[in-house]
Amino acid sequence: MDASNLSIREINSLFTKKELKPSELYSKVFENAANSEAALHAHLTLFEEENIKKATESDKRFSNGESTSLLDGIPIAIKDNINIKNYKTTCSSKMLSNYTSPYDATVIEKLKEQNTLFTGKTNLDEFAMGSSTENSAFGLTKNPWNTDYVPGGSSGGSAASVGARSSIAALGSDTGGSIRQPASFCGLVGFKPTYGTVSRFGLVAFASSLDQIGPITKTVDDSRIIFSSISGEDSRDATSVINNQLDIPSDNTATIGVIKELMEDGISDEAKNEVNKVVQILKSKGYKVKEISIPVIKLSISIYYLIAPAECSANLARFDGVRYGLRVDGNTSYEMMENTRAEGFGAEVKRRILLGTYALSAGYYDEYYGKALLARKEMIDEFAKTFKDVDYLISPTTPTQAFKSGEKTSNPLEMYMSDLCTIPANLAGLPAISIPTGLSKDELPLGVQVMSKPLSDNSLLDFSEIIENEVQFDGQPKGWL
Amino acid sequence: MSLKPTIGIETHIELNTNTKMFCRCAVVDTDEPNISLCPTCIGLPGALPVPNKKAIEFITLLAISTGCEITSKGMFHRKNYFYPDLPKNYQISQFDLPVGLNGELEIVIDENKDYIQIERVHMEEDTGKSSHSGSGRIESATSTALDFNRSGVPLVEIVTKPVISSSKQAVAYIEELRQLSIDLNISEGRLEKGNLRFDANISVAHEDSNELGTKVEIKNMNSLRSLERAIDYEIQRQTKALEEGVEIVQETRHWDENKEVTSTMRSKEGSADYRYFSDPDLPNMFLSEEFIKEVETLMPLLPKAQREELMTTGLSLSQSNILCKSDDWIKKLYVKVFDQTKDSVASYNWITGELQGQMRKANIEVLPEWFNDDYLSEIIELIKGNKISFTSAKIILTEILTTESTPSKVAKQKNLFQENDSKKISEMINQIIQENQDIVDRIKSGEDKLVGFLVGQLMKQSNGSVNPGLAKELLLKELEG
Repeated sequence: MDASNLSIREINSLFTKKELKPSELYSKVFENAANSEAALHAHLTLFEEENIKKATESDKRFSNGESTSLLDGIPIAIKDNINIKNYKTTCSSKMLSNYTSPYDATVIEKLKEQNTLFTGKTNLDEFAMGSSTENSAFGLTKNPWNTDYVPGGSSGGSAASVGARSSIAALGSDTGGSIRQPASFCGLVGFKPTYGTVSRFGLVAFASSLDQIGPITKTVDDSRIIFSSISGEDSRDATSVINNQLDIPSDNTATIGVIKELMEDGISDEAKNEVNKVVQILKSKGYKVKEISIPVIKLSISIYYLIAPAECSANLARFDGVRYGLRVDGNTSYEMMENTRAEGFGAEVKRRILLGTYALSAGYYDEYYGKALLARKEMIDEFAKTFKDVDYLISPTTPTQAFKSGEKTSNPLEMYMSDLCTIPANLAGLPAISIPTGLSKDELPLGVQVMSKPLSDNSLLDFSEIIENEVQFDGQPKGWL
Repeated sequence: MSLKPTIGIETHIELNTNTKMFCRCAVVDTDEPNISLCPTCIGLPGALPVPNKKAIEFITLLAISTGCEITSKGMFHRKNYFYPDLPKNYQISQFDLPVGLNGELEIVIDENKDYIQIERVHMEEDTGKSSHSGSGRIESATSTALDFNRSGVPLVEIVTKPVISSSKQAVAYIEELRQLSIDLNISEGRLEKGNLRFDANISVAHEDSNELGTKVEIKNMNSLRSLERAIDYEIQRQTKALEEGVEIVQETRHWDENKEVTSTMRSKEGSADYRYFSDPDLPNMFLSEEFIKEVETLMPLLPKAQREELMTTGLSLSQSNILCKSDDWIKKLYVKVFDQTKDSVASYNWITGELQGQMRKANIEVLPEWFNDDYLSEIIELIKGNKISFTSAKIILTEILTTESTPSKVAKQKNLFQENDSKKISEMINQIIQENQDIVDRIKSGEDKLVGFLVGQLMKQSNGSVNPGLAKELLLKELEG
């Protein structure tokens, strides 16, 4: 038996029964990392040495029967845009290559309280801008299923780490699909909670109104465990909400909507087939399934690429070489700031800052940013209306299977299109999950996405677990284990 | 050709909250740099703003007290510009939905009331402080030192409509605003500490023109003297230019305290594009009706109402205005002394004239502990009862400001009670006449002025204890007889 392949609940049961020690599992995941890291480059930093002591503390708690947390001794990887006190937070940017955070993100504080063991910081597209983890200043990450392919992004490092069993689970952040898309590409569960349920304090902001931290895991239950540990209202985040969960049915009294606009052109047959497969299963179990049209979804990419860059143009203004991070000298303060930003940011980050600056400029605001806000409002209203008719919405997570490294780097628009199905949940603040359901003919994972109304995260997880159990996806990339 | 100036003033008031606007760092008053900082107020990656309720309460107080319409749906905006002492390179401010709109402030010039229209009252966070060495300007500084203690301190900005027409009016407006902020207890109101800082927009146009002239902004003054002189200088400069047919350039000018001139800081070709947009970290902020009602219960008696109340005691408008702008203890002392003496003129004159004058002279900042509020009333009553002379009263006041005693005790000790017994005075007069027969002869031959000499002799001989009015009356009778 390979413990790194088990779910959190299974591992906890072994720990409790003293059939496995946290320190043994900890060694095992680092052994996996040693085997895979050269080929995958999932991590920017690995914490093995620093945390061995903590692993033995977990050992002690379990041997004394004192452990109270399901996450005690569970090795978890953290996306490198989430601050862990006294560790580097680079955001895969040259700008922050030597930046050490003096404080913990709220999610990190919460995981520390649960005695989680951190394995390392994972690679990402610079400042979480990208869909392939090819925009990292520190080298790209490969898909554990086939290293010719990208792991998705921007949380590609987190997905590759869990995929290669270098960690049991990982935290990612999702602004337009950055948890769900890499989870789908790597045959994993990726969950983006309702906006505001997980504190953003300590997450380096990309687009504040869209960013949300969430788990990438092997199973739906693992995501549930992590979500319940990291969520909750936070007085340090004015956008955080009281996590008062709505109870909607997950059994076959629920009604499922298939989003028409996400089953049309631009979506591969393979991706559609996965949705149809799940729909057949649900129908056979007695669920009512109907087709739903939300036309404004077709505008998702356009809305997103105005709102996200606009917010990022301000969020990333603080990286100026004055107080921390990279500094490239100049003759005046302004020249220093210009030189620093010219050298510190990569091409994609610059592209989005420029796009956002333009969209907010006098004379263009109403035409671009202002219109995007209106369309976003309409989308929120449309979803609200839709959720009066259906309990869950189902679609592909991604239009296609993972693409090859380098395949889309020269065409940003095509790259942006890979987020078509995931962006609406961010724009509307909905909980959304990607569940792995099958393999493509290239032997690469495919997934389906399920969304539900805000604050119905727990029901969504329950419903997703039903799909997971029915589909019986064998989520193991070959060769690493 | 007749020209008229038009002035608008933007004032920043530093609120005296315990903590900063968007983090819980203490607001400190120290020269030691960078001692009150946290991730939020120095813009570390991942840090988030959380509004200070007290600051919002303060600004709402100010908006209500200036008669503004309250925008209940106040939204924070990001004002984007790069400057080394602005940690996020955007300032959290308010844009199209300020807390207060369209108010009015009553001001007093001499015996006249005037009203200054307020365009808006909004809140924002302060920046850090830059010290440029090598030159005073960032563009040519060899190095810049930064202190972020002030970064994030709550500010309220009050903008007048362009309705002010003279430096005198401008000064009266700032005096009124300062007093208002002190009475509302939202600011220390200390100009020398920069608690209030003002920018003046000045333009000059033909008297019969409906349009304003090209405006010039004078930035960052913090004394009434600077404000007055800078406005006068600028009106003169622009008037002269227009009379000579020289075009006024729209620009920002700096008031040079030493040379007493304004000089170009930067010319503003168009207005700067701050790319304002709603801060996604602070959405849905609004002032509830309950909150506004709660704030209204905190409203103290405002300067305008204080003046009205003081005028009912018989004081003139300008006297009432001076009192309402005096320290609190002076206002209270006046009310007490007036209540006891029912003599507004004497109460006012003794407090604002003799008492404050002597305290200033003796360098006494607060009344000594033994100084009973009743003492001034006692002194006033003694004068009115002809028990002591005005001169003696001054001596008594000097004594009780420095030595623990009471007015009556001092009068007795120093033998200052007046002689009001006509018989005794007549005896003294007879003696004086005998001793100064030559003078008496000269008076009788027409040198009336010498009567004063005899009175003086009488005062001298009696150690100032005779009632001078009565003495003169009796002396004249004696001379005539």
